[in-house]
Amino acid sequence: MIMEIAIEVKNLNISYKELKAYSIKKMLFSHGKSKAEPFHALKDVSFSISKGEIWGIIGKNGSGKSTLLNAIAGIFAPDSGTIDLHGNSVSLLSIGVGFQKNLTGRENIILGGLLLGFTQKYIEEKMQEIIDFSELGHFIDKPVRTYSSGMYSKLAFSITATLETDIILIDEVLSVGDEHFKKKSSARMKNLISNDDRTVLMVSHSLSTLKKLCDQIMWVDGGKIKMIGQPEIILDLYEKYMQ
Amino acid sequence: MNKFIHDIKKYHNYTIYSAKSELKAEVANSYLNWVWWVLEPLCFMGVYTLIFGYFFKASEPYFTVYIFIGITVWDFFNKMVKSSVKLVKSNKPIVSKVYVPKYILIIEKMMVNGFKMSIGFAITAFLMLINRVPVSWNILWLIPILLCLILVTFGICSIVLHFGVYIEDLANVLNIVLRLMFYLTGVFYNLEKRAGEIGVYLNQYNPLAFLINAARDALIYCKMPNLLWVSLWLIIGMILSAVGIRLIQKNENSYVKVI
Repeated sequence: MIMEIAIEVKNLNISYKELKAYSIKKMLFSHGKSKAEPFHALKDVSFSISKGEIWGIIGKNGSGKSTLLNAIAGIFAPDSGTIDLHGNSVSLLSIGVGFQKNLTGRENIILGGLLLGFTQKYIEEKMQEIIDFSELGHFIDKPVRTYSSGMYSKLAFSITATLETDIILIDEVLSVGDEHFKKKSSARMKNLISNDDRTVLMVSHSLSTLKKLCDQIMWVDGGKIKMIGQPEIILDLYEKYMQ
Repeated sequence: MNKFIHDIKKYHNYTIYSAKSELKAEVANSYLNWVWWVLEPLCFMGVYTLIFGYFFKASEPYFTVYIFIGITVWDFFNKMVKSSVKLVKSNKPIVSKVYVPKYILIIEKMMVNGFKMSIGFAITAFLMLINRVPVSWNILWLIPILLCLILVTFGICSIVLHFGVYIEDLANVLNIVLRLMFYLTGVFYNLEKRAGEIGVYLNQYNPLAFLINAARDALIYCKMPNLLWVSLWLIIGMILSAVGIRLIQKNENSYVKVI
């Protein structure tokens, strides 16, 4: 069987040079001393993921894991190289998904769904499911700024977990809310991930979770891919390396 | 340009829903809710009528309507430009989580402020009625005038949005520029009468002064606006918008790296 490719990344480079915000005040008074230092977040990264596979990404803080996810989600532009998702829809699940704070939870569900590319009709059909899963009750019609941080992440999780996209990018999100919700969400997550059609790319520092869930592990170090391979092998090497 | 049209189509549901929710939230979060949309411009009109009608002895016929048209159009432009500078930053929670074409954010704001502007024109119509302003078919010129206003505003806002991301204190500079422009627009006085020859130039080269006066001509004085200048500003508006759209399309995916 030929595996269909879902994510194809070729020679991806992303750097943060020349992008420092500057101000007119600084330009007038600092005589151009402040030169922005280029920082290469990703260097020449290439890989391809087949449809339905679950990949984990490991690496030290600042090694470029989140940048990679952001680039695949289309939020960052590559400086060079290409990312081809072959027409699959994609959503980024990370701590503190974005809401418009003055709007209600319900309105934010619709807006978030529309941005992910779903129709309003479909979102409204799924609305009750999202609200039930989030356990927010009557708070759903209150402005999001009144939410506690736990409620905030519960709602964020429920939206992405219910409105399922073809590709899900997960940035350290396996535990949200209280103990009860944590159990529920990680069960839901496993359910989502195990769907054969869904491609998942997850960043996590929990090696045991990765070992349980992933088909492949990518080890990123200093913006480059250090290794790609079977979870057992890579995770062992990584653990030794980190000690 | 194709991408722009494609984006507008793809995101129009989002844009409309978001604008509606924003207006609704504004109503829900204030004590007098929608009354403010009417009250605020009316109060400003009162202030300007008092100061310019009474102290400065302005003698424009139908002075309240005259002022109200000025305020309505100026407010739209002013609010748009001011919010565009920090539009990407104020939408950070969304922009950093999912891709959205950044000019969609401008269009959403235009709907919100456009709605408020239409309330302004509804009040204008009411004021015209009670002041018995003679009306002619010339009021239809308001349509191309508003189209021109929308294009010029969109163009300026998209350029401002782009530079606002990179230049931290652009907002401060813009506040000063807008204040200067406000006085050079003649929102509550006749530029030609007060500034003589310079006023004549301002009424052509300052788009806001030109458009506000054209709207007054059409609504109050039963006159046709200067069509040459209307078309000139239409073209300039289109060029500005094209430049802004290109700027945004080329750079928008780098914005998140800065904020």
